[in-house]
Amino acid sequence: MTVYILRRLLAIVGILIVTSVLIFGVTQVLPGNVAYVIVGQFATPEVVAAVEQRLGLNDPVYVQYWRWASGILRGDLGQSMVMDRPVAPLIWDALRASALLAVLSFICVTIIGIALGVIAAVRRNKLTDHAVSMFTYLGISVPEFFWGIVLIILFARYLHWLPSGGIGDSDADWGTRLKHLILPTATLTFTLIAHVSRLTRSSMIETLRSNYVRNARAKGLPERVVIYGHALRNALLPTITVLAIDVGWLIGGIVVVESVFAYPGLGRLLIFAIERHDLPLIQGTILIIAAIYAVANLIADLLYAFFNPKIRYA
Amino acid sequence: MKRLFGWILAAGLVATMAAGAAQAEGTLRVAVPSNVNTLDPAKTKIGEEYIINNLVFSGLTESDPKGQVKPDLAESWTASDDLKTWTFKLRDGVKFHDGRPLEAEDVKATIERVMDKATASVARVNFSIVEAIETPDKNTVVFKLTQPYAGFAEILADRQVRIVPRDKLDTIASKPIGTGPFKLDLFQPGDRFELSKNADYYNPDIPKLDKILIRIIPERAAQFAALENGEIDLIWDVPPETISQYKDNPNVEMDSIATSTWDGVILNANQKPFDDQRVRKAVSLALDRQGLVDIALFGAGTPTHTMIPPTHPYYNSDLPITKPDIAQAKALLAEAGYADGFEIPLYVPSGRPTRERLGLGVAEMLKPIGIRAEIQRVPWDKFVKDIEGKAAFFIDGFYSRPTIDTSIYPWYHSTGSWNTTLWNYSNPEMDKVLDAARAAKTDEERAALYKKFQEVAEASPAGIIPYVLNHTNAFSPKVKNFHSHPMMWLDLREVTVE
Repeated sequence: MTVYILRRLLAIVGILIVTSVLIFGVTQVLPGNVAYVIVGQFATPEVVAAVEQRLGLNDPVYVQYWRWASGILRGDLGQSMVMDRPVAPLIWDALRASALLAVLSFICVTIIGIALGVIAAVRRNKLTDHAVSMFTYLGISVPEFFWGIVLIILFARYLHWLPSGGIGDSDADWGTRLKHLILPTATLTFTLIAHVSRLTRSSMIETLRSNYVRNARAKGLPERVVIYGHALRNALLPTITVLAIDVGWLIGGIVVVESVFAYPGLGRLLIFAIERHDLPLIQGTILIIAAIYAVANLIADLLYAFFNPKIRYA
Repeated sequence: MKRLFGWILAAGLVATMAAGAAQAEGTLRVAVPSNVNTLDPAKTKIGEEYIINNLVFSGLTESDPKGQVKPDLAESWTASDDLKTWTFKLRDGVKFHDGRPLEAEDVKATIERVMDKATASVARVNFSIVEAIETPDKNTVVFKLTQPYAGFAEILADRQVRIVPRDKLDTIASKPIGTGPFKLDLFQPGDRFELSKNADYYNPDIPKLDKILIRIIPERAAQFAALENGEIDLIWDVPPETISQYKDNPNVEMDSIATSTWDGVILNANQKPFDDQRVRKAVSLALDRQGLVDIALFGAGTPTHTMIPPTHPYYNSDLPITKPDIAQAKALLAEAGYADGFEIPLYVPSGRPTRERLGLGVAEMLKPIGIRAEIQRVPWDKFVKDIEGKAAFFIDGFYSRPTIDTSIYPWYHSTGSWNTTLWNYSNPEMDKVLDAARAAKTDEERAALYKKFQEVAEASPAGIIPYVLNHTNAFSPKVKNFHSHPMMWLDLREVTVE
């Protein structure tokens, strides 16, 4: 197992190196010029040239890449070109905010998704099952910015129950912060829940048909024990994989949801950076997102092994 | 499962209780749509940055809502007879937010920094006429100019020329310290600004607010919800297309003011067919100004002759706004050799909604005189690089400038920097009027010359400036004494929140 983990970690490093080259390549061909963003359209060509010189934009691409990559090895993600401050603290602040939103959403997706999947499986082809599938498909079939705005209009504008966005004042207590998190979390949860609940449902249905469940029932075990004690653990295995995939979706969703809810996380930082062609900020943010995704996949695989003793990685 | 529900319930309860906590008294919460790039006043370029500039810093002079120059850090000033030497007396007892007194050397360092190419300040161009800055004593600053310039006190009210402490130049972008009515306590990039009252502000009666919280909320629907929800008190710069939904709401107040910010139809006289004065006049005659205000701005603007807004004392109210005259326009086109009209691409920058709509309106209004304009939307980056200054026919737009001279001269004088980039207009009479206005000694003389300028611009158009935009703010009835400013920044010195 240790060898496996080490090997996977090494692979992640490899993936991140390849990703860094890709990110760097793509940001090089982005249209527009950060120097113009910094000095504005009034600037004379000499001023633009001076800014390009200062930012090292005229160096060959490989020199620029090496400057960036070697900085990362030293733990330095570079300097935001537009804001003229180090990238790392900007990303760190945004990451903490995003992590809170992502973890909360992930927990909701997992708990509610699995619960709905089990309910739908146990009551399959009945009204509850249809209601669950309608509810979950509704979430996935319309983009998250739409649900975000619907929730804002409903809960903030008309009912005045919840704040429309942001993270609360800097001196806000946890209760207030939690209130700010409810709508973005609900939006993300609603758009992601279908994956988990549908998969849990089908895998649960299959498990409930299996021989060992039939045996358990024949032994006279109460239905609750059969479902939660015997069937669920096995039925959850495929769900774990889909949850790992959901982490990817979650990160994509965060970019949109954070914009709608003015939530200062990685997603908004990335959009800010892209709008302004702030290359180090774009590169740093995407690299961190890629790293999170890779690690989430590793964790999913390890959990898979943990839940299914038949699988032994070597 | 029961335990989980218990937790959720408890969390909800805590959240509801926290929401009841009272706001600090005298706190104004503002929503703006975009993040800022810099806090260094000399380098600012966008509306949100100007808001911070104006709250944290003061200028030597300031521009009042009527566009007239008023004392700010300079208590008084005098100009020599030849308008080439300007002496400013600083107000006594002004302190920076760190407690150090303001001195003439700070003013000198500030302006020299703006003039320095390396700073890349957009205001630099206005100060190329400054030859030397002298500080005979701690309270006096003398500017020596290379040419007479009557509007010099006005350009010192510009957004980028806010006075900064000479010993904090290196950290001004991260820790802005000024002499303005509010101190910046916190900037969370992408999220918020928190400002508090400057108790040492030179006018002890203001500001009235204790705190200002500025939140960056890009989504307009979310801004509106936050206003209705009581999370914020004021939405800065409501876009014209959303004004109607605020108007119907009894719990929202609106305040609008005409600015000198304009959108325009650029006709490049260096290229056919706009090299012919008659073609430019024909285009001008075909366009219905009020119609364009309705199409592009949903009515939230004011038809004009040039960028001088009708609210300005120099506006020529005796000069009627051109009314569409299709017959005359067609006759002029025929005279110029385009009896059947012509076909031409009309470039509009995408992502600038008012300008996109203006383009569509113009294209429709030109059809009756036979000009078939084919709209081409171009992304902003490409627009700045490939269209602005190169194409024959395009829609552009510009923020108001600090003075009438800086608003006009670069666009209409044959040597003007924007004229030579955009429409290449050359009219000796126009040059004469603009040069004379620069050297005019009295306000009456200047007013007469700028009124003449509007006549000349109407008679022989460079291009078309159909309107100036209104700047609109929406706020809660709890907010008192708030007035929108034509420079689009927030003057919150007199504002209170009930």
